[in-house]
Amino acid sequence: MTPATSSSTVDSSVLQKSFTLGELLDLESFREVCESYAGLFQIGFKIFDQSRELLVDVKGSGSDFCAYLFQFPEGKARCTREVSAIRDQEIPGRDPSYHDCFTGLRYAIVPIFHEGDAIGRLVYGPYLPADVAPPDLSFVGERFNPGISSRLLGNVRKVKNDVVVKVIRHLAQTIEVMLYIGYKHALTSRMHVEAVTASYTELQHKNKELKESFERLKELDRLKSNFLATVSHELRTPLTSVIGYSEMLLEGLAGSLTDEQREYIGTIMEKGEQLLGLISGILDFSKIETGTLRLNPAPTNLVEVTRSAVSTVMPLARKQSINIDFFADQKTPTINADSDKIRQVLVNLLGNAVKFNHKEGKITVRVEPVSRPSQTARVGEDLPVALVPATEEFISIAVADTGVGIPADKLERIFDSFYQVDGSSTREYGGTGLGLAITRNLVEAHGGMIEVASEQGKGSTFTVLLPIERAAG
Amino acid sequence: MVQINLEQREITLKIVYYGPALSGKTTNLQVIHQVLDPDSHGRLMVLDTSDDRTLFFDLMPVFFKTQSGFTVKVKIFTVPGQVMHNSTRRVVLQGADGVAFVADSQKSLSKANNESWRDMASNLKMNGLDINEIPMVIQFNKRDLPEVRSDEEIADVARKGKEPVFKAVAIKGQGVMDTLEGILRLTWRSLNSKYGLEEKLQVKENDFISGVLKQSARAGKPTIRQREGDL
Repeated sequence: MTPATSSSTVDSSVLQKSFTLGELLDLESFREVCESYAGLFQIGFKIFDQSRELLVDVKGSGSDFCAYLFQFPEGKARCTREVSAIRDQEIPGRDPSYHDCFTGLRYAIVPIFHEGDAIGRLVYGPYLPADVAPPDLSFVGERFNPGISSRLLGNVRKVKNDVVVKVIRHLAQTIEVMLYIGYKHALTSRMHVEAVTASYTELQHKNKELKESFERLKELDRLKSNFLATVSHELRTPLTSVIGYSEMLLEGLAGSLTDEQREYIGTIMEKGEQLLGLISGILDFSKIETGTLRLNPAPTNLVEVTRSAVSTVMPLARKQSINIDFFADQKTPTINADSDKIRQVLVNLLGNAVKFNHKEGKITVRVEPVSRPSQTARVGEDLPVALVPATEEFISIAVADTGVGIPADKLERIFDSFYQVDGSSTREYGGTGLGLAITRNLVEAHGGMIEVASEQGKGSTFTVLLPIERAAG
Repeated sequence: MVQINLEQREITLKIVYYGPALSGKTTNLQVIHQVLDPDSHGRLMVLDTSDDRTLFFDLMPVFFKTQSGFTVKVKIFTVPGQVMHNSTRRVVLQGADGVAFVADSQKSLSKANNESWRDMASNLKMNGLDINEIPMVIQFNKRDLPEVRSDEEIADVARKGKEPVFKAVAIKGQGVMDTLEGILRLTWRSLNSKYGLEEKLQVKENDFISGVLKQSARAGKPTIRQREGDL
């Protein structure tokens, strides 16, 4: 670090900047104050900054007299000399210096200080000193009229020196207060800007860091999904063989089996299928996550798809003595959908309805067309409400059970991946916690939505809504 | 950073009072303002909020002319102590030539002292200042309160640390001028060894100290209005 040898090269702190008189004063309002001062004492004055620039010039009772003399060539020349002398004259200390003009009038000069530095000067006058007799001024020009001159001189405020000292001390103090206020204001506003800039820069920096770590997390998430997809795919292949060979054994292709062997191999096969189901779930989920899931839409009769899903879970339900009621509105139209995926959705919902039901409980499945008020937000925020039809048509497939239900505060989270309402339920009911996440994703991939209503202890109703799209044109 | 203007024969130093909220930084400045000769300092600029918390900074300029005709200015600043004003603290700390750290002696506020010190270290660093090089004194203020760290404890830390330690009851004016003198001396020595001030300015350390610390002829006991936010 080297010290600055000239103040202009230093910008180490906004608080160290030095100000000029003009920068510290609001000149507009300062001039008003000066005018009122001049009016009060009928004595004009001038204020120069340290580079001798005239900032304020207010006229007093001497101005007509001076103007009269100024029209004579010699008067003009003398006056100009006097003004520059006053402007440039050294002022030794803080006390007023005086300058007597050729006209017999007088000026008092005081420096204006700010933080110990003279940053300008106040030139007070001209006034007529009480102790000086007016000189003969006929030398200024031939047409000089002593009568006019003395009449105008009579208008000039005559004042004793000690009064002048008091007045300028007061004036200087007023200026000093205004300077202080200006300085305070200048410093605080600079400080404010600096502090805001510093905070802003800091915030920008933090935002950048957050964004970067967010990007990193997103990338990790993508890698995780890829990994899951690959692993579940690889797991499926040997498992298919396990199940296949178990089946062959059961069918007696390798010789007849004892009842005990049959039972064991049956268990191997059953558990193998269960495992396969779980792995397929993970695979589906990771495909959805990575966006590689493809739908194969075709005209689909949802009543038939639902009926088939019901018959799939029927054996499971019977084991628990659960009764499934199935209602279908025959007016339900055919829509474009991927029937396999919809079936998977319904099997999952029905499977849950069985799994979380009581023994001898009841499941009600209902398929029907419904109309719902349009949700503009869903249609697209770029559309004005007027352009959106008042209602939208859906096919509703509702699966209601009489099971344990879901606490109200957990309803929002049940569609999150890996989430189960009660961690311990994983052990009791099994599953990966992916079922509903996959279900929702599959429904949304069809442009539909899934809703849930539940009362704890009384049961839950899951409703899948798939849009009926009228063929355009 | 010290500004030396050889053309205009002027030198400006910057001293910053740092420390946790409500430790008495502004009170220190108010005492200095009252004790020093009014002809050798400007107005005390206190920028605080309605609850007497420093908003931006306080500023007290002190100046004198040396016999060799140099104008010496010392600008003493305080920083706002509240945690949220960190960027303001950093800006005020910019270019500081010396720092007086005003710690609160109350045991319960030791943690606040430590946090403020760490905050200062990081702000010094961000301003390109080295905490190991910048002249620094520590003031343990509020010695008159109950439940404060004991004199023995403070004497002990003073022995162990490299920073000179001062004890103060700023509200009664005690220890304030000693602290100021301490930081002025350290700062002068540091700047002198870097820039040869004594030679350039023809000023000795003691002239500098007595120039800045010229006290008011009407000096009496300073009376400080207790700020409402203080304890």
